[in-house]
Amino acid sequence: MKNIVEIKHFRMDFGKKTIIKDLSFEVRAGEIFGFLGSNGSGKTTTLRALLGFYTPTSGELLIDGKKYDPEDTDVTVGYLPEERGLYKKETVMDNLVYFGELKGLKDPKGWAEKYLKRVKLEDKADLKLEKLSGGQQQKIQLGVTIMNNPKLLILDEPTKGFDPMNRRLLMEIIEEAHQKGAAIIMITHYMDEVEKLCDRAILLKDGVAHAYGTIDEIKKQHKGKSLEQIFIDVYGGEDE
Amino acid sequence: MSNPLWTVTKFEFVRQVKKPSFWATIILIPAMIIGMFLISMLISNNNKAEGPTIDENTKIVVTDEAGILPKESPLVAKITKEEGSKKVVDGEIDLYFYIPADFKDTKKVEFYHVSEGLELFNMDGQAIKSILSQSVSPKFSDLDVLALTGNFEVNDNKLTKTGEESKALGHAVIPIIVLVIFFFFVTLFGSRLLMTVVEEKENRISEMILTTVSTKHLIVGKIFSMMLLGLIQIMTLIIPVVAMAIIYKDNPMVSMILSQIVIDPITIITNLALLVFSIFLTTGFLTYIGTITPTAKDASQFIGPVIIGVVFPLYFMSAFMATEPSGFVYFLTYFPLSAPTALMLRSAFGTLTTPELIIGLAEIAILSAIVIRFTVKSFQQNAINFSLSLPKLRKK
Repeated sequence: MKNIVEIKHFRMDFGKKTIIKDLSFEVRAGEIFGFLGSNGSGKTTTLRALLGFYTPTSGELLIDGKKYDPEDTDVTVGYLPEERGLYKKETVMDNLVYFGELKGLKDPKGWAEKYLKRVKLEDKADLKLEKLSGGQQQKIQLGVTIMNNPKLLILDEPTKGFDPMNRRLLMEIIEEAHQKGAAIIMITHYMDEVEKLCDRAILLKDGVAHAYGTIDEIKKQHKGKSLEQIFIDVYGGEDE
Repeated sequence: MSNPLWTVTKFEFVRQVKKPSFWATIILIPAMIIGMFLISMLISNNNKAEGPTIDENTKIVVTDEAGILPKESPLVAKITKEEGSKKVVDGEIDLYFYIPADFKDTKKVEFYHVSEGLELFNMDGQAIKSILSQSVSPKFSDLDVLALTGNFEVNDNKLTKTGEESKALGHAVIPIIVLVIFFFFVTLFGSRLLMTVVEEKENRISEMILTTVSTKHLIVGKIFSMMLLGLIQIMTLIIPVVAMAIIYKDNPMVSMILSQIVIDPITIITNLALLVFSIFLTTGFLTYIGTITPTAKDASQFIGPVIIGVVFPLYFMSAFMATEPSGFVYFLTYFPLSAPTALMLRSAFGTLTTPELIIGLAEIAILSAIVIRFTVKSFQQNAINFSLSLPKLRKK
């Protein structure tokens, strides 16, 4: 299977502090990939470097064989960052249409109307985003992430702060995107989600990979323990 | 796929246009200009009633072909209009009036004097009205009535010290308009632009937007949208001014200004280029600040110093009015932040040579390109730096 993401000997220093020492892994087209590790282990830094927000100290981070440029890529990317927000003073519809136009949708308004109906927010289209509840805003952010049928969906702690309803919606969307052939990279602290959804995963600690492979391979390497137990063993009971 | 630069420009433009504060500014400023214009009209009319102020040393000569003044009057000389204007240029006389033979019909007197720089309306020309009104014979003729009532025009012929027609004011009009537009733009839209750049970080939009559009298109699109907004503002300033000029075209002050405006394509093109590059440079500076500050509150601290830097040359107006620019004026002409205003002022006062203009334009164009490049890079680097600390600024 073709690799959609390739990370080769990635090292990231911030001043004298090394966040990632030497990290290499691939994400294959069409798979769901779990990116695991405690807070501060460098997961978000890796994704940000992959998307061009950070320049790596050394190594290569490639999407479809080249450095990511939003305006020069054959791979449609949907990214739900950990720190996420939209234009609060603009209406829901204006936010969706703006991102739809930037992502090259032929009929961004039509898409927005359909999506709002699906997530039961059609009556909120003309409201300013700031007038929506936190959960409603999450639905809009999710819409922006998936609107261009991404071939690569990158979700940084997607369920963080989501209520159970939105969590279910997110899972549906992940499933839909997967069925359409999208590769999904998911940072999460919920090991049950990883076991249920992911094909492969990587476990990061102190800037290096401590486990990498299919979920079964990782479990085999750790005497058949559950992912949660493996996580606890690797971190040695460290406070997250 | 639609052009991302156009999409960003359109989005940023529309969201600003929808704000009531934008339209409040749009309406308020022309209203203020009209108000100031009407007040200046009233003041100019009052000044006319007070008459000219000429002292006993002023040398006045009149050629009276209409025969209104007594022949024995010490002011009357039998010289031609050309001779009279030459004597003005040579400094032999201060004010020269030519009353043509057909004065009764034309109701116009020609007035010659050497112009001192940007002279708008020389009240000394009104002296002829006093001279004529004091000279009428007891038996009133039509000419006497005209002389007494002062119901005639005085054509003001400004001359340079080399004897050519002085067009200092006419040449200054376009650079002054450009300067005014530049200030309006920087003060009204500079801070707005800075805030829209900070907004992306403050509202955590950076990561979502920058995986969708390039930093370059995002920043340049924001600057373009502000330029479009500026264009609307400029039109709302120009339209009332033009309307006022048409309505009051018979007013002596307005007709004098209109008659003196010099429409020179090269002046227009160079000044417009100066305006565009200056806007890019100044907004580039402000946008850069937006990229390195984490919140609108932090960013707002920098707006004042940048604006002061831009308007700094105005505090030294007299230095810029001098025929020979001083070293300090040269420094301000090429110092990045003050260069746009200094170049525009010198262009207005006619002290900017063509090579200096070319060097100045090149400097601003190159600097604006560098600043925008830096800004794009800085935004890319700091877009996700949500808690950038500015210890020096935050110290109390």
